[in-house]
Amino acid sequence: MGLKIGIDVGGTFTDFIVKRNFEKPSLHKVLSTPSDPSIAVVQGLAEMAAAQQPRQDLAPFARSIDVIVHGTTVTTNATLTRTGAKSGLITTQGVRDALEMRRGVREQQYNNRYTNVKPLVPRYLRVGVTGRLDGNGRETEPLDLQGVRDAIDLFRREGVQAISICFMNAFANPAHESAAAELVRKELPGAYLTVSTQLLPSIRFYDRVSTTCLNSYVGPKLDHYLERLTGRLKEIGFGGVLLVMQSNGGVMTPSIARGKAALTLLSGPAGGPAAGLFFARAHGQNRCITTDMGGTSFEASMAIDTPALVNDGEIDRLRVALPMLGIHTIGAGGGSIGWIDQGGLLRMGPQSAGADPGPACYGKGGTLPTSTDANLVLGYLNAEFFAGGRMRLETDAARAAIEAHIARPLGMSVEQAAAGMYRVVCNNMAQGVREITIKRGADPREFPFIAAGGAGPLHSCLICIELEIPFQIVPREASVLCAMGMLLSDLRHDFVRTFVARMDNLDWARLGELIDAMSAEGDAQLAEERIAPEGRRHEVKLDCRYLKQYHEVSVAVPREMIARRDARAIADAFHTEHNRLYGYSLEAENPPVEIINVRVNSIGLTEKPQYTEETFAGEDSAHAIKGERNAYVPETTRFANVPVYDGSRLRHGNRLQGPAIIEEVTTSVFVSGSYDCVVDRYGSFALFQRGRDDLVGGTARNANTEAIA
Amino acid sequence: MNIDPILLSVYARSFKSITDEMSISMQQTTRSPILCEAKDFVTGLYDGAGRMLEQTENLPILAFSLAPVCKHILGYFGDDIHPGDVIFHNDVFSLGNQNNDVAVFKPVFFEGALVAWTAVKGHQADIGGAVAGGYNPNATEVWQEALRIPPVKVYDKGKLRKDVWDLIFANIRFDIVQHDMKAEIGAATIGERRFVELLKKYGLESLEAHKLALFDATRRMMEAEIAKIPNGRYCGEGYVYYDGKNEGSRYTIRVDIDVADRHIKFDYSRTDAQTNGFVNGTYTSSASATILTLLQMVNPDIPHNEGMVQPIEIVIPQGTLLNAAYPKATTFGNHLCPPNADAIQRALAAVMPERVTAGWNNLLCSLTTGIDPRNNEKYVDIGFMGLKGGSGAMRGTDGYDHIGMIDASGGLLDQDYEMFEQQTPHRLIRHELLEDSAGPGEWRGGLGVETIFEIGADDTQLVTFGDGDFEPAFGLFGGADAGLNFIRLRYPDGREVTPRNKDLITGVPKGTIYHQVASGGGGYGDPKLRERGKLAEEVRDGVVSRQAARERYGFDVKDG
Repeated sequence: MGLKIGIDVGGTFTDFIVKRNFEKPSLHKVLSTPSDPSIAVVQGLAEMAAAQQPRQDLAPFARSIDVIVHGTTVTTNATLTRTGAKSGLITTQGVRDALEMRRGVREQQYNNRYTNVKPLVPRYLRVGVTGRLDGNGRETEPLDLQGVRDAIDLFRREGVQAISICFMNAFANPAHESAAAELVRKELPGAYLTVSTQLLPSIRFYDRVSTTCLNSYVGPKLDHYLERLTGRLKEIGFGGVLLVMQSNGGVMTPSIARGKAALTLLSGPAGGPAAGLFFARAHGQNRCITTDMGGTSFEASMAIDTPALVNDGEIDRLRVALPMLGIHTIGAGGGSIGWIDQGGLLRMGPQSAGADPGPACYGKGGTLPTSTDANLVLGYLNAEFFAGGRMRLETDAARAAIEAHIARPLGMSVEQAAAGMYRVVCNNMAQGVREITIKRGADPREFPFIAAGGAGPLHSCLICIELEIPFQIVPREASVLCAMGMLLSDLRHDFVRTFVARMDNLDWARLGELIDAMSAEGDAQLAEERIAPEGRRHEVKLDCRYLKQYHEVSVAVPREMIARRDARAIADAFHTEHNRLYGYSLEAENPPVEIINVRVNSIGLTEKPQYTEETFAGEDSAHAIKGERNAYVPETTRFANVPVYDGSRLRHGNRLQGPAIIEEVTTSVFVSGSYDCVVDRYGSFALFQRGRDDLVGGTARNANTEAIA
Repeated sequence: MNIDPILLSVYARSFKSITDEMSISMQQTTRSPILCEAKDFVTGLYDGAGRMLEQTENLPILAFSLAPVCKHILGYFGDDIHPGDVIFHNDVFSLGNQNNDVAVFKPVFFEGALVAWTAVKGHQADIGGAVAGGYNPNATEVWQEALRIPPVKVYDKGKLRKDVWDLIFANIRFDIVQHDMKAEIGAATIGERRFVELLKKYGLESLEAHKLALFDATRRMMEAEIAKIPNGRYCGEGYVYYDGKNEGSRYTIRVDIDVADRHIKFDYSRTDAQTNGFVNGTYTSSASATILTLLQMVNPDIPHNEGMVQPIEIVIPQGTLLNAAYPKATTFGNHLCPPNADAIQRALAAVMPERVTAGWNNLLCSLTTGIDPRNNEKYVDIGFMGLKGGSGAMRGTDGYDHIGMIDASGGLLDQDYEMFEQQTPHRLIRHELLEDSAGPGEWRGGLGVETIFEIGADDTQLVTFGDGDFEPAFGLFGGADAGLNFIRLRYPDGREVTPRNKDLITGVPKGTIYHQVASGGGGYGDPKLRERGKLAEEVRDGVVSRQAARERYGFDVKDG
């Protein structure tokens, strides 16, 4: 078996992880090439080929790759920077403004300068045509095909590249949309077309029209990019399978991605949660909070058994109703700028110095104090060994920025100010984590905390102290966690049909038909992706609610339960899930339960890279000490000389006591005063509150105990 | 004790996190749509003396609805407050804001001392009185509107007072209200737990000292904003049309704003006297309206605590339209916010022209109820989508389209169209931005919307309430007024009915066309100065007509 490579194209860096079975993965980073991200991909592959032992040429190296899984921010960036395709919308007469009005929300209620987002399709290119279906899909007025033709003429004149079709109540009957689509395909064959019922045939007009238009808006860019990427990969001799990461944590082939571009809006960070769960499982845990702190943002997600999904996600205030991982982003990263507000309180972010000019200590002209500057002053970063020594940091510049903007206004020393910045940014992240967990009815203290991203492991201890989380895991792959997660992902296709029905009066045959139809669609796609029938799974979910509630709860329901027509068991599953999420159910009152949507998630199992466990190398870690440094210890609020370990020399079973610093090439870990650390069997750093060794699973020490017992 | 400026930031963020967490709990555990969907509730944290530490008000009109009550409860029970107590309150004659807004207060004890309160207040689906839902346009006295709940313990030292509980809920129609009140208690308990955790971590002495420092910091922020306004007295008026009883009636809200350095006083003494109907405010709802209008003129990052309100003084004599005397009816009180805001914007326009907005579209709302012939079940629809007009423009920023009345400021969302057709028998014909509805200006007002649907059941009942059909949102500094609101019915036999703005229409037949306009906000500055590129786009997009471009903006768009 050959190589598997995960590639995560980010805004600043393109991350690579290369994995051969039973071998340690190797990590690589190159600067991204935003104008054509595929250039950095090929460049990184070439550099990795050269780094092989013995050195390889690119062609044989490329030929030895079985699978490349790829996360891209092409669609994310096109949305955030509003550089997608010129788009048109054909919709039902009378509702063309739903896209722009966004149900009339203003997210900042006290801010009269807060403006609405610019719609992805301008009003003059949103065309309403007559023709109407009722809520059951019955035609009450025929579709005006001439109206569709007029819209097409307008689009042609205006040079529209991407077209969306979304009609009222089409979820119940796609006939009008199909007829309009046929005309568009005939008249404008070159345009990118999204038909709402082919992307998302579920009820809620605003959700559907917004998602459909987003898909069209980003579709041509993704299409173009994937074409270039597959071309370049073919050129260099790659003959394996290319897979694209989706927002739902699954992967898909490029041919499917091209038609459903909106599925990649969260492609970049979507690998993280699965990777987090992988490392948690090494400790016998089936749940975790995965966090990733990069240069500008902090991302957090929760997983119980599987990473949590949401059906009402947003990107840049635009609704995306396709299932996506519940990844919460806040503006806290290494580049977050510290400032003093009008009332004299210290704040961190959300403004970021970005990569350019970057933190003051980068010496690239930045003069504002950032989180990274504070880390340097606090002794957590090594000025000589940043990015493995590839970049020198300027401590004087960091101190000057903090002195001028924080220390002097607050009347404190530079060190005190830096400690304050550190504390405030950690507190912000802790509150973000608290929100994502409690919102889903979970207590953060019961979860292992996975700290990833270049800056994450320097902050995780204080975040965990704040949240009283006793156990953290810092994987060796912390700086490329998302790329690593991509290698662990299965193929996945989500289907949905709206089926409004009461549980006590259910058309079981119809329900069965819908599920079968969606499963067949899933089978067809997976077959196209060369997945054998035994590697396919179809999971059924019903979106249920108590009669006339406003929000649905998605409940996993075994196919057999539906075959048995067991309404009771389905209702029980709904009560249980409702209780888990919201802390109560109405089981006792027993009001009618209604179904709104039926979902099928078709999963094609992929072969996962095998990880070997490291052999136990003893508890002593003294061999890895490379020096000591004066660093700030939050528990005592004082600086102390703390040992600095060379992470690359720490082995499975090695233990060390906080406070300590562990330096790796792409990340550094700060083990705070009340935590200790042991290297686990996958080589991850497991940090536990002093005395809580019991939380560390599968270490040699515990394994030995088990063996003896 | 020394104040640690860093810890101060940590406290501020932690308080916010607590009230947010309480708010999430409410949203997820309540069942009535006005709570879980429209989020008409507020969660708050107060110190032992009833001073506001932090609040999460989902609708701005609730900005000042809890703090005054907290102080009242302290005085009412004196030293008879114990761990485990849970207190209910809604009484508008002891500082409640609206009858339907029922509050839960829970004292927080630490090491034997009362150190804080957590509180939750939400709009309940029913509160007794003559009419289900509490909205009774014929009421002249509070008892016709609601069950009065002055401060009452429903839990005494942790023990449920079943007799009291049953007495209250024996007077309320829907069981859902019991459930939603339990949700309020649950959210208050979550807040209590988290506050005690914070105390355990940092100690009472630290918290007390830093709390005062936080109030000071916030007060300084607010004072700095007020100091930007020149000293002096500024007067403004806002108008209320039709009291639900007397055709053609009009009332005036008059505010005299005195700014003296870092202090601002809003004096409503010259406001018209109370009405004999239900178009009357309460002190708390009127003061909330004042505060939310001011908050939109200052730095939106100012924390919501005692320090924020310290520099603000609000005088509303009893017996006036904005503070009705016992036992007047007051259900319409919250909807006096828009004309109150108008009065303030007009008063301050001359001295803070870069902070005020032109007039916002006033609320005109309808509610349809009846039996859905498809399943013979009762349905109720609050017409959220139809009621949301545009906000007023300000210097440098156009108004926000389809945001809705200022007391919600974009916190209240449209129903989804397809869900609307599932849950009501009606068929939506149009819901779109309305061309030329925005007041023209260098910065235009927010656009309003037009809503048309076909009523799908016989014997439908329609309740209207609101305003904005006599006077449009006003323009400022040369900006023009917007259009008027209206609701019209066209019966299948061709008859046209225009309900009054506070009305009850019964027996509406199936096939009737419901037509509503929630118009735009007022414009700001001379329309002739509007950026031509923007105007050309707006003409292209059909939100400004060619005729209006020519006649109101002086801009001739060439064809093609």
